[in-house]
Amino acid sequence: MTFKTFTLALIASFGFPWLMLVVVPFAKMRNVKAAYFTEAEDGRDDVYVPRRSGRITDGAAVYAANGCYVCHTQVIRPSFAGSDLGRPGWAGFPPDQDKPVDTRRETSVYDYVGEKFAQIGLMRNGPDLSNFGGRVERYIKGEHTPATSPEDWVYFHLYSPRAKKETYWSTCPSQRHLFEIVDDYGQGHEDAVPFDAPGGKQIIPSDEIRALASYLLSMKKDDAVPYAINFSRDKKKAE
Amino acid sequence: MATDSDIAYQQDSELRTSIDRSLRHPVMFFFTSGATWLAVSLVLGFIASAKSHAPGFLDGAGWLSYGRVYAAHLNLLVYGWGCQAAFGLVIWLMARLSRKECRNVGIILTAGHLWNLGVTLGFLGILFGYSTGRPWMEFPVAVWPMLLVSYVFIVVWSFVQFRCREGGQVYVAQIYLLAAIFWFPWVFLTSHLFVFVFDGHPVMAAGVNAWYKSAMMLLFFAPVALGVAYYLAPKVTGRPVYSYALALFGFWALAVIGPWAGMQKLAGAPLPQFMAYTGAAATVLVLIPAMAVGVNIIMTIRGHEDAMAASPSLRFTMAGIVGFVTLGVTGLFLHLPGMMKSTQFSPTGYGYEILALYGFFSMCAFAGIYFIVPRITRREWLSRRFIRWHFWLSVYGVCTVVVCSIMGGLLQGQAQEAYKMPWMDAATRGYAYNLGTTVAWGFILFGSVFFLMHLLLMWARLGRRSQHPTLLKAGAHAASPHGPDELDELQAVES
Repeated sequence: MTFKTFTLALIASFGFPWLMLVVVPFAKMRNVKAAYFTEAEDGRDDVYVPRRSGRITDGAAVYAANGCYVCHTQVIRPSFAGSDLGRPGWAGFPPDQDKPVDTRRETSVYDYVGEKFAQIGLMRNGPDLSNFGGRVERYIKGEHTPATSPEDWVYFHLYSPRAKKETYWSTCPSQRHLFEIVDDYGQGHEDAVPFDAPGGKQIIPSDEIRALASYLLSMKKDDAVPYAINFSRDKKKAE
Repeated sequence: MATDSDIAYQQDSELRTSIDRSLRHPVMFFFTSGATWLAVSLVLGFIASAKSHAPGFLDGAGWLSYGRVYAAHLNLLVYGWGCQAAFGLVIWLMARLSRKECRNVGIILTAGHLWNLGVTLGFLGILFGYSTGRPWMEFPVAVWPMLLVSYVFIVVWSFVQFRCREGGQVYVAQIYLLAAIFWFPWVFLTSHLFVFVFDGHPVMAAGVNAWYKSAMMLLFFAPVALGVAYYLAPKVTGRPVYSYALALFGFWALAVIGPWAGMQKLAGAPLPQFMAYTGAAATVLVLIPAMAVGVNIIMTIRGHEDAMAASPSLRFTMAGIVGFVTLGVTGLFLHLPGMMKSTQFSPTGYGYEILALYGFFSMCAFAGIYFIVPRITRREWLSRRFIRWHFWLSVYGVCTVVVCSIMGGLLQGQAQEAYKMPWMDAATRGYAYNLGTTVAWGFILFGSVFFLMHLLLMWARLGRRSQHPTLLKAGAHAASPHGPDELDELQAVES
């Protein structure tokens, strides 16, 4: 084996999988085709626009910088790869009085709109967050809720994850280093968390926490997707 | 009267001494700074693991919050310890095997300081909230070009030495080291470009990141560790590698299989699924090179159990090779499609990474360090007891971390899959195992303190001035497994 054959063999054995797994798929996935609703299947005829609102870019940066992806995933796997679709509240919701459609579905290629890097996540020491926004909207209607708006619920949780009755067992780290302690004037700040601060002060979310909460609440599975990319088991064609 | 062979032996030994002397400063720099970062990484690993079952531990300070400490722990293990230990091993082994003195010590040392500056900036960046959030690439974006530039100026000389070598032989160890030198920049540069520079789909960026982690383990740390093992096993036992054909087969099996692995982390994510399941299949097939190497090294050492008991380097080599075979077997069981449902997002992945980085790579790196340091400092290790403590605490600790992470992960993964049970059931299932992991990191840290202290004493040239190597068996000095004649030719593949 000469040096030349050795080098060529290394280039071939490494370069082929590198092209197949990294370069070609990267180039092809740069322009994912849009999905369309069709008259025959969906009863309407337009392009599917993945909708997501909130401070995605700076919220995702806070999410990344504080390592939320170590314990939380953002992917609902199809049933051949896991049973995420069955877990209540993770993949969407079954039809109920609020919304008569079944929004449960696996993650689609359009769900990470606005992000640079899909935070698939490393472990599930905490729950999946794909439908976090949807879940929080229901939590605040529950009995023991510590808050009445979704944002306040998230601020409360990020400040003290174990202070709520339903999550006393959580190992989620408190993010209270991202809150600010300010003087308490008059009626107090509208977003102050209900925890005591020393010396008549109050604890309010910093800009980072606001961005993070906005980003987390932007993750919802509540839109209608075209029949062609709806992989839910009970999907129906429009009549 | 001196015969020709006496003169040849004398010249040979002078050459080896001058090579060792030329590399004294850079190699000791990489080993000592690597061992220091290892200790920091282990402290962080202990803190992170403790927080996973006791979230109130060291709570309230941002720079000690779980997500940041966990990221800093793994990045320091990879770039602070792993890469620097690998650099020290590569430049020394390549110089010795190519029989060339190092003439670029100043540049290597400067680049080594630049690397350490990058690691320090990255480490502080992660702790103070500037992490990028891409696993194993968490250092702030400005750091990776620094690391790449320093890598080139550290390692390029080893490549030059190989090309200008005298004698024309190629050793198995050199093949592995050359491949590592070649794969690292390709993997490192392209992965960082695809993740940070080129504008692509977010899911694909995550895929490249998962591939990068696997490629770093299988195509950089693994070949460096195997290069060390293929150098030490024949050297210390004084017999040739058991089978050259098997050695070449093992190498090419790794070269062909390794680059396909990694994207199994994205099974079920919206990306062409052949990528994820090819990754899983490749990770399963890593058992093939692992078995080839395992058989080859064990057959080389066979019959020299005394040497294995006495020589620290051989003992650590053996532990590392057992680690590699275990990595292959674990990879097989954890990446079967049915198992992946419950292992994909459970702590088993962490156990697998620690097995690769500590149970396999670091054990082989320790073996190399115990062999190399006495030669370049011209002093022998001070304490048999320190080495023994380091060995047993490391073996015991890494076994416990891996078993706890993988067993706890399997149970937790099953609980995740039981979707009709409340989530609390899955979230709390791993507590006991996480506790075990924390205790085991404590053991590893304790062992590593002995190692760091011992290494720093050697660095301060306070080692024993003696002709006899420090062996782990009392009275073994008479039958030294290290010498007297250290002939590099023992491992020639072809001449």
